[in-house]
Amino acid sequence: MNFVTIGQNIVKLTIKYWDKFLITGMGYTLSLAAITVAVGAILGSLIALLRMSKFPPFRWIAAIYTEIIRGTPMLLQLYLFYFALPQLIPFLNRKQYLCVAIALTCNSAAYVSEIIRSGIQAVDIGQTEAARSLGLSQRLTMTQIILPQAIKNILPALGNEFIMIIKDTSLASTFFIGDLMTQVLLIKGTTYLTMEPLIMVAVVYFVLTFVLSKLLGMFERRMRRGDVR
Amino acid sequence: MATSDKLIQVRDLKKYYNNGAIKALDGVSVDVNRGDVMVIIGPSGSGKSTFLRSLNLLEVPTAGSIVFEGVDITKKRGHDGKKLDIDKHRQKMGMVFQHFNLFPHKTILQNMTLAPIKVKGVPQAEAERKARELLERVGLGDRADAYPIQLSGGQKQRVAIVRALAMEPDVMLFDEPTSALDPEMVGEVLDVMKRLAKQGMTMVVVTHEMGFAREVGNRVIFMDEGKILEENSPAELFAHPQNPRLQDFLSKVL
Repeated sequence: MNFVTIGQNIVKLTIKYWDKFLITGMGYTLSLAAITVAVGAILGSLIALLRMSKFPPFRWIAAIYTEIIRGTPMLLQLYLFYFALPQLIPFLNRKQYLCVAIALTCNSAAYVSEIIRSGIQAVDIGQTEAARSLGLSQRLTMTQIILPQAIKNILPALGNEFIMIIKDTSLASTFFIGDLMTQVLLIKGTTYLTMEPLIMVAVVYFVLTFVLSKLLGMFERRMRRGDVR
Repeated sequence: MATSDKLIQVRDLKKYYNNGAIKALDGVSVDVNRGDVMVIIGPSGSGKSTFLRSLNLLEVPTAGSIVFEGVDITKKRGHDGKKLDIDKHRQKMGMVFQHFNLFPHKTILQNMTLAPIKVKGVPQAEAERKARELLERVGLGDRADAYPIQLSGGQKQRVAIVRALAMEPDVMLFDEPTSALDPEMVGEVLDVMKRLAKQGMTMVVVTHEMGFAREVGNRVIFMDEGKILEENSPAELFAHPQNPRLQDFLSKVL
């Protein structure tokens, strides 16, 4: 391997294709991750509610769903959704981006539901007992006492999930949907260069996740400061 | 019903775990009269905390009945066939926990006004006025806007007591209220409880403070292995214990 040549090629590629990475690729990657986390959070909340329901069949459905999603590879789920969804719902025919977004969302929802469930269950049982002994209903106990405390456990973990998803979206390049990793494949196809675009995209991914995790850390510290007011 | 001096009637209360392999409560029957200060003592694991927590159904008993102000709260439906609203009855039973269980995300004042406002519909201004008055009475008038984390253990427990009092309960249940406190803070909490007893509040107290039982209680109950083994006035119970297990227990703790 000739490092000088690689370096020169990277400079050339950057000048020629910077927008493919920083605008097109990043646009797809970030939008996909944002949609996944946002919809995944809503879906995940619902699954968490089912998981904590008093009605056992609801708990079973939620548990089976979570276990299957967590127990199978994400790439496999992408393939299944990608090929099965258009056959079930004709509307999704040739809507690759949407199919991939749905697959990622269903995957993320399972993980988010566990984040929410553990965040809620991490609140001391004594809080529930104190609230109920004062005559608060189950609903009031949840909204007034448990959720405000659980949110402090949930939000940081949700941020981490967002970072995980950003990296996981790279699997979507299998279907050429336009994300960062897809750009690598496209550039590789036109220039016959492999190492160079890979190194470039690695830098982009790293900067993206590093900056996000630092922001998250700041946010977390500020939230914890709120505790000691 | 309100004129009856039997506030709580417990009959043959049982709480089993693991299909009866563990009998936390094994047939407890007792009446709590209005104005009683009933102190429950016994070794750990004797079922005294389970008994206390059953009174407001934090523990759901396996069998038996608890009639509180004329209503059997262990039944899912009342005489009129309406669904029993346990929240309604819990409002009338204040509870104080070993670990205080103040709400950490709310100020002291908010801790105290939350239930009166949200559950009883008391106007905020009135709830706050009442809360400040109660805080004043336990010497914490200046801490209304503090958060629980800024308070000492003894202060937290005093807040927990007045938080329960803010609902104007008919009976106060204390679950080892001084067990988690540093020794120098036990006194301030017991003082508040003593004053409460003097004002005529009906109290059921699970405690290891034998001095409190002797001085403040009008009835002392000794529990072991899920049963009430002896009940007497404090003077009699401490001076002439009958049951050999009570004698053994007292020889260790006194």
